[in-house]
Parts: sequence; C-alpha cells; structure tokens
Amino acid sequence: MSEAAAGHHEHHWEWSWAPMAVVIGVFLILPLGFSTFFVYENVSLTIALCGIGTPILLAGIAKWVAEGLTVKPLVEGLAGVAIPLFIVSEVFIFLGLFASYWTIRLSAGEMWPPEGTPVFDKSIPLIMTVILVASSITYHVAEVKAEAKDLGSFRNWVMITLVLGFVFLGLTIYEYQHLLHMDFGPSTNSYSTAFYTITGFHASHVLVGLCIFIAVLIPAFKGLENHTFTSSAGVYWHFVDVVWFFVASQLYFW
Amino acid sequence: MSASTTPAWKEWVFTTDHKRIGVMYLVGSMAAFVVAGLMALLIRVEQSSLGPTIFEDPTVVGDNYNTWLYFHGAAMILAFLIPGLTGFFANYFLPLMIGAADVAFPRINAFSVWLFFVAIILALMGFVIPDTPDIMWTGYPPYSVTTSANTAFYVFTVHLLGFSSILGAVNFLITVIYMRAPGMGWNQLNVFVWTTVAAFVIQLIFIPVLASAVTMLLFDKYLGTHFFDAAAGGDVLLYQNLFWFYSHPAVYVIFLPAMGVLIEVVAGMAKNMVFNYKACVYGGIFGITLLSGEVWVHHLYIAGMPDWIRVGQMVSTLLISVPVGLMVMSLWGTLYRSSITYNTAMLYAAACFFLVLIGGLTGIPLAMVSMTVHLSETSFVHAHFHYIMALFSTFAIFAGVYYWFPKMTGKMANEKIGKLGFLINFAGVNITFWPLFIIGLDGMPRRYWDYEMYPQFEPYHQVALYGAILIAIGMAITILNWIGSAIGGEKASDNPWGAQSLEWTDTVSPPGAGNFKHEIKIAADWTPYNYGK
Repeated sequence: MSEAAAGHHEHHWEWSWAPMAVVIGVFLILPLGFSTFFVYENVSLTIALCGIGTPILLAGIAKWVAEGLTVKPLVEGLAGVAIPLFIVSEVFIFLGLFASYWTIRLSAGEMWPPEGTPVFDKSIPLIMTVILVASSITYHVAEVKAEAKDLGSFRNWVMITLVLGFVFLGLTIYEYQHLLHMDFGPSTNSYSTAFYTITGFHASHVLVGLCIFIAVLIPAFKGLENHTFTSSAGVYWHFVDVVWFFVASQLYFW
Repeated sequence: MSASTTPAWKEWVFTTDHKRIGVMYLVGSMAAFVVAGLMALLIRVEQSSLGPTIFEDPTVVGDNYNTWLYFHGAAMILAFLIPGLTGFFANYFLPLMIGAADVAFPRINAFSVWLFFVAIILALMGFVIPDTPDIMWTGYPPYSVTTSANTAFYVFTVHLLGFSSILGAVNFLITVIYMRAPGMGWNQLNVFVWTTVAAFVIQLIFIPVLASAVTMLLFDKYLGTHFFDAAAGGDVLLYQNLFWFYSHPAVYVIFLPAMGVLIEVVAGMAKNMVFNYKACVYGGIFGITLLSGEVWVHHLYIAGMPDWIRVGQMVSTLLISVPVGLMVMSLWGTLYRSSITYNTAMLYAAACFFLVLIGGLTGIPLAMVSMTVHLSETSFVHAHFHYIMALFSTFAIFAGVYYWFPKMTGKMANEKIGKLGFLINFAGVNITFWPLFIIGLDGMPRRYWDYEMYPQFEPYHQVALYGAILIAIGMAITILNWIGSAIGGEKASDNPWGAQSLEWTDTVSPPGAGNFKHEIKIAADWTPYNYGK
C-alpha cells in the first residue's frame, strides 16, 4: 500500500493483498486447472476455475506492480541482484531437462533419431534465433532510452520487443502445428518427448518474459518507470535468449 | 494511514511482516506435522499385528495404507521439516539476528508463505478426491505413471513448495548479504544465520532439478511422453537420479538449520562462546554444502551401477561425516566449562546430542556398499533416517520453539508441563525406533503393511506401537502447553535467558513492527555469544 511508504519512522504493520491474490490465481489455474482437464477430463470445471482464477491473478499482479512502482523499499535496487540469483535456479531446471535429454540420446547410440522422426525444416529455428537476438537488442535500446528519461522512445522500443517476442511464439505454434500434422506429437518417440518438453518449457519462459514487458509497458503510458524493474526484466529476457542457443543447438542442429 | 485505522485482521491475513509470516509458517507446518503424525500412528497400528489390522486390502486405490505412507513422508519432509526450519525460524529470527527491519522483499515473502499454504491445501485435498495419491514421497516411476491414482496432485504440491522455497532462498540470501546492521562482519553472524544461508544455497541450486524431474513425471503420465519409459527409449533410473540429486541435499536443508538452532540454544543456555566458531562455519557448514551435491547415488546402491561409482560414492558419503563432525564438536565444546541451565529447551537440545549420535553412527554402515546391499529396504534404514530426520530435527525444532517462546509470545512457557512432555517424547521415540534397528538387521522389510513370512517380528512391532502412542501423548502435551502458555502464561521479560544475540538484547518481547526502536550499530569486538569468556 502506498500510504505505508510515507512513514517508516512510526513503524506500523505493513500489509498487501497482492501476493495472496497472485497465489490464489496461480493455484486455481495451474494445479486445479490442469488436474480437472487432464486427470478428471471435466472441461467445464477447468473453464470455471480458469475463469475465476485469471481475474484474481491479473488483479494481484496489477496491484503488485503498482505497489512496486510507488512503495519505497527498505534498501533500493536489490531486485537487480536478486534476478541473477533466481536465474541460477532457472539454469538448473533447464540442466535437469537437458541432462534427461542427453541421457536418453546417448543411451540410444546408433538408434538415433528414433523411428517416426520427420526431417526438420532447419530454417525455422534459424529465423527464430535471429528474432530473439534482435529482441534482446531492441530491449537494450529501450533501456538506454529509459536511462535518458525519454519515456516515449522507451515505450516504442518495448513495443517493438513485444512484437518480436510474439512473432517468436507464433513461429513456435506454427512449427508445432506443422510437426503434429506429420504425426510427430509429444508421445511419438523419445526424441519428440524431449523436443516438445524443452522447446515448450522455453516458450513458456518467453511468454513470462513478455508478460513482464507488458507490466513494464502499461505503467510507462502513465509516465511511471522504475529503473530496477526495467533492467531486471531485461536481464531475465537476455537469459531467455541465451537459453535458446542451447535449445536450438541441442535439439535442431545436433 | 496509521496502524489504528487499518483493521487488525487485515494486518494479519495480508501481512508482509517477516515475524507474522514466520508465525504463519509455524502454524502451517505444525498442522502438517499433526496430520502426518497421525498417519504414522495409523501405519504403526497396521503393522502392530500380523495380517490385516485396519484394512483387509491395502492396495485398493483410495484412502488406504499406501496413501498414508505417501502423505506421512511427503508432509513431514516437505511441509513440516523444511518449512518449519527454513520458513518459520529463518523468517522470524534471521532478520532480528542481523539487525534488519525486515527481509529484502517483504511481498515476495508473503507470496512464499501463501504458496506454502495452498500446497498444504492441495496435499490435503488428496484425501477428498477418490484417487488419493499412493506413490510414497518419492514418486518413483514406473508405478507413479501406471497407477490409477492421482499423480498430478503430488507433482503440483512439489512445484508449489519448490517455488516457495526458491523465492525464499533468493529473498534471504539477498537479505543476509545487503541488510546486515552497519558494522556486522561475516564472523559476527549467528551460527544459525550461516546454517540458513547454506540451506538456502542448497535449495536454490537443487530444488529446480527436482522440479524438472516431477514435471517430466507429470508429462509421462498425462501427456504421453516417454522420459521414464524404457520400452520407448526412456530411462527409468533417470528419475531416481534426478530425484535424489535434490532429495539428498534436502537432508542438509533440514540438518543444517536444525544444527544452527541447537547451537543457538546451547550457547544461550550454557552462557558460553560457540566453541570453534570458524571451524564450525567455514569447515562444517561450508564443507557440508560443498559435499551435499556429490553423494546422492548412495540412495541407489542396489539399483545397479558399476563398482567404481559405488566406491566413489562410498568415499564421498563417508567424507561428509568430517564436516558434520566439526559441527557436532562445536555443539559439545560449547558446553565445556559453562554454566548450564537445564530448562525444557536445553533438555530437548541435550536429547539431540544423543539422537544425532545414534543417527550418525548407524549411517556409517549404511554408507558402506557391502553393508548397504544387505540393509537396503529394511527397517534398519527406516530407523536410521528417522533418528536424524524425524527425531533429531524435530527435537531441534522443539528446543528452538521453547528457547524463543518468550520472545515470540511475551509469555514464559510452562516448564513443568514442558518437561513432562519432553520425558514422554524422549521415551516414546526411543521405544519406537530401537526395535526397528534390531528387526531391520534380521531382515524386516521397510514399508510392508503385512509380514506373514516373519511372525517372529510381531512383538517388536507391538513395542514400536506402544512407543508411538507415547509420542502421540507427548506431542499433544507439548502443543497444548504452547497454546496454553501463549494465552495464559507468566509474563516474560525482554531477555529472560540473559542471552547476547540481537533478538534478545535489542528488541522487546514480542518485537513490534519495524523490529528495533533505534538504529543498530555493531562494534568490531561484538559477537552474538559475548558472555565474557
């Protein structure tokens, strides 16, 4: 709450409903939404849960971002060091997935690629790489503009980054459809298992990154910009970019 | 907005204050402890006599023996021990010990505690649905993939708790690095702060690997992928490796803060400097952290692997007893030439000296490949890790709660009832687990609901049941004592033990919003164990 920032001297109990709202939203959408859809195959219940969960989640995020932009923290700028720490754990979750892929792949020996794998169109991952690298550069330009207090250019460059990110996701969906059309689905063989899991997991990170950019962009239209928030979003995005090199090189070009 | 205009319930329910979040962690983890403890009691009842005791057929999917095993293990480790030690103690006392007004990211802290609560709700919902998870706390495939029970609830419980812990890890590591009181050097930190830092480093690095493993499990069961399906080119041992890659270090996530709590209690009650502080921190805590990620394969000795891996794992497993030994040495050494107050907190701590010895010494034969091949999957292993995880760590938590009770509540806990509860608990745990060592050596398989091929073990199981009933009585007395004393206990002063750590010397009982009334400045010769010796 913004009022809480005013008087740290009088020491009153700080509170915010945003974290609880985000948790409830996530809880309704992910564990319960997944279970009702895939385990119990009750689609109307899934729709109901996501229908209730999504507005709660969005309200929580909006409130949280608003507080983050207005409430003065005890020590400023710490998010800039927290994001790299968080990325350490992200690296290990990708390592867990890659280690599984390497284990499956190396134990297959000569039997690779397994039966049912079509010939991949290598131009798509190349285009996706160019787009993602370009989006990292455009966001860097946005950060430079923000530092120069040029909020108008900042917004434009963030929007260009968003467009590039969504084109990347669109290409992912296009490629998935293309492969599914060739009967290459998640359950086809051990290669498709690793392929869809790792590219899908990376795509989910792209989506989270884009959501963060939207959360950076909307307040910018009201003239609000928080340097730590902007640069933290950038660090996360560059990480997603770097991971893509591993995803593409290991899954498409090895 | 001043405090008086905000309704009190909002200041509690939506709180971002680390102390209130700590109390929420304590309440949630104790609730998980009680439910999971009752499951353990039911398991002991089922095993106390040959043949079916409570159930005719424990393999029917739904509420049965296997679901108790699952819930007992998962809830005790993931929802009681880890959140109790790294959630409750770290939240409440770490910022006080380093002289900070709060953690670095109070809202993320509230986010973590609510993730923890919904994870417990999800785990409990497992008993509402008809297909309660029945896959132990390990969730090994292929059974977890082929069972008709709900594996998704298990996976998402792990996800929610894991995400909660990762965010907690980032939050607390940043807090310790950037928010120590001015002048506080690294050698002036409480040992508990160091153990918490180590536990969070382990959480940050290893939890994601477990998250990836259970995600693959979820995909294998519900999306038809083949990670752990050997018939389609997958690898079933892959899951076990990834699982123990986190879950062995998780033992140290529990052990290290438990040790930290004990050292605080012992130093405070013995009024003595921590013995060999630097060896304990830089040898013991750092050593355990470094070695924690290199020993997981000893959980898979009988899963089939080349001998050179077994021997290497045996060496690294035995090596970890060196830093553990350094920490235990500090624990004992702190008592040397001290003046010990034998109150309830100290009695629990003293019991831990014994429990860690039994648990540690029985671990050595289990590290030896030649012994483990025979002892694996027997109740000897069961008793060994319960001495460390269940008894040592839980007694450390109880020692800590009694030690800091006056600080948290502003009231003194009732000593007479506390000591009575301690005696019953201590007798109960030993009566329960000693017989399991004995029959384990004779070949009693662990986990079995029935053992008709071994009728000679029945009396031992009966003794274990009597012990378990004693534990239930002791725990009830202890928890009721806390509740009763918190409401109607004798008023406590700000520093009833005369301890020297910041949370005792510089805050009132209980500490208010903002923790400290004045700026904390740390002198170069200050230590949290400054007892003039």
